[in-house]
Amino acid sequence: MPSLPELNRRRWLLGAAGATASAALTAPAQAARLKTQARIVVAGSGLGGLAVATRLSKMLDGARITIVDKKQEHNYQPGYTLVATGVWPVSKVRDRNVDLMPEGVAWIQEMVAEFDPASNAVLTSTGQRVPYDYLVVATGTHQDWGLIEGMDVAAIGQNGLGSVYPSPEAAMATWQAMDAFRQKGGNALMTLPATPLKCAGAPLKMTFMLRDRLAQAGTLDKSNVTFYSAVGSVFGVKSVNDNVVGRWKKLGIDIEYTQKLKAVDIGARKARFVTPEGVSTEVTYDFIHVVPPMRAPDAVKNSDLSWKEGGFAAGGWLEVDKDTLQHRRYKNVFGIGDVNGTPRGKTAATVKKAAPLVAQHLVDVIAGREPGQKFDGYTSCPLIVREGAAMLIEFDYEGKLIPSLPMIEPLQDSYFAWLMKYAMLKPAYMAVIKGRV
Amino acid sequence: MYEIWLVLNIVYEMALGMWPALLILLLIWLVLLMLNRKGLWVVPFGYLLTIAAGVAVVTGLAVPALTVSSFGNFGYWVDWANWLALSAGVGVTVAVWLWPLMARRYR
Repeated sequence: MPSLPELNRRRWLLGAAGATASAALTAPAQAARLKTQARIVVAGSGLGGLAVATRLSKMLDGARITIVDKKQEHNYQPGYTLVATGVWPVSKVRDRNVDLMPEGVAWIQEMVAEFDPASNAVLTSTGQRVPYDYLVVATGTHQDWGLIEGMDVAAIGQNGLGSVYPSPEAAMATWQAMDAFRQKGGNALMTLPATPLKCAGAPLKMTFMLRDRLAQAGTLDKSNVTFYSAVGSVFGVKSVNDNVVGRWKKLGIDIEYTQKLKAVDIGARKARFVTPEGVSTEVTYDFIHVVPPMRAPDAVKNSDLSWKEGGFAAGGWLEVDKDTLQHRRYKNVFGIGDVNGTPRGKTAATVKKAAPLVAQHLVDVIAGREPGQKFDGYTSCPLIVREGAAMLIEFDYEGKLIPSLPMIEPLQDSYFAWLMKYAMLKPAYMAVIKGRV
Repeated sequence: MYEIWLVLNIVYEMALGMWPALLILLLIWLVLLMLNRKGLWVVPFGYLLTIAAGVAVVTGLAVPALTVSSFGNFGYWVDWANWLALSAGVGVTVAVWLWPLMARRYR
């Protein structure tokens, strides 16, 4: 029989080992926390807002950090394409924001109605004025459904109308519409607007998966799938675009370029497209996947924080320096995620890479240092090419493919890339929210 | 290396999602380990290896279907390498869990 002190020693060793492992994974390095009384407002509680708030709460000692966002439900948006194509149940993309709020961070459960950067304050939807010393804008995008005449988000799921973008409910309804369509087959229209998009790979994934579902159902020979792009390509990275176009040619998916979806008659199942020259074409369909034009939310677009000239001004995107993600005119303001007016990067993967940099740069500014790191615009897209296979595409601002691991072939369809999308990226997303990766 | 840290975090988050079951399995294993500690080092290594290999084969055959895919979607060697690592990992884990039970025979 071991003696009592020996048992205690064993317990202590076991406990210490467990605590060490747990601490290693649950707490980011807390060395040299900066003491400050700074008031920091984080506008938005999506992945970007939560990830930066969590990191700041670990890096700063005494800061008063406040998240402003009304949203109660947290949605794992990268999973919408899996829901909308019948791979995942909708429950996998739903979490509660209250469970994800970092400790010690205040939460004002209202929307930001107005940014007033000149006086360092935000106004909420109830008129509450929230002053700040430092601001992180993480409001995401606004989906401009009003630019498509006749479109009704509430009708998604009926009359062959689908869209993966608006919500988990819309994704689920889209699968119902797609599932009904694939039983009989017919004419499918897949659309792409001309604006910057969050997850610009989603329209391509939906197209690949629709074609795969038709093949599985045995109705492919009775169907036509046509991708209507409002621009001259289907994806902004040339090598990926060329690869996808080549695949679609082999799969029998047609592409119509510079055709912008202008209107949809949901009951009659008709869509109207216009070219830049104003030529209008009406097309009947049995299934349509509508992708909304996107811009910055009104609160950003109408504020002095938005770009006032150049390519990002029309969408009212946040005027940040693409290297530091610091606002170009208001140095106490940073941007993270989809709202940023940067050349590329409106994905969760972009946030994964940018959140540590934004948090560090904000700490640098509080400490009186210049932001010293440079963001390369990292974006990743596990581009599903059929059920069970995907391409793991990673690229930077310049559209250069930058695989994280040298052995990964970005344009190779692969089970590993699918496995990542299917099983590993949501756990990674949760680790980003918790400020660990 | 960042990727290793990322994988560790992914595994940790997956484990968090099923921690009650994992905790019960861990406690059972610890109890079995204590009860059968005298026989642990006389269990033939080959016996454990056979168990690990058997479980790895079953896991390897099941994993593609369990993840809504198939061997037909394996595109290049990275797919096979990850599949092998995953299968072997499950096999070794199960063999280690069963190790104290095997030790009962040799106490």
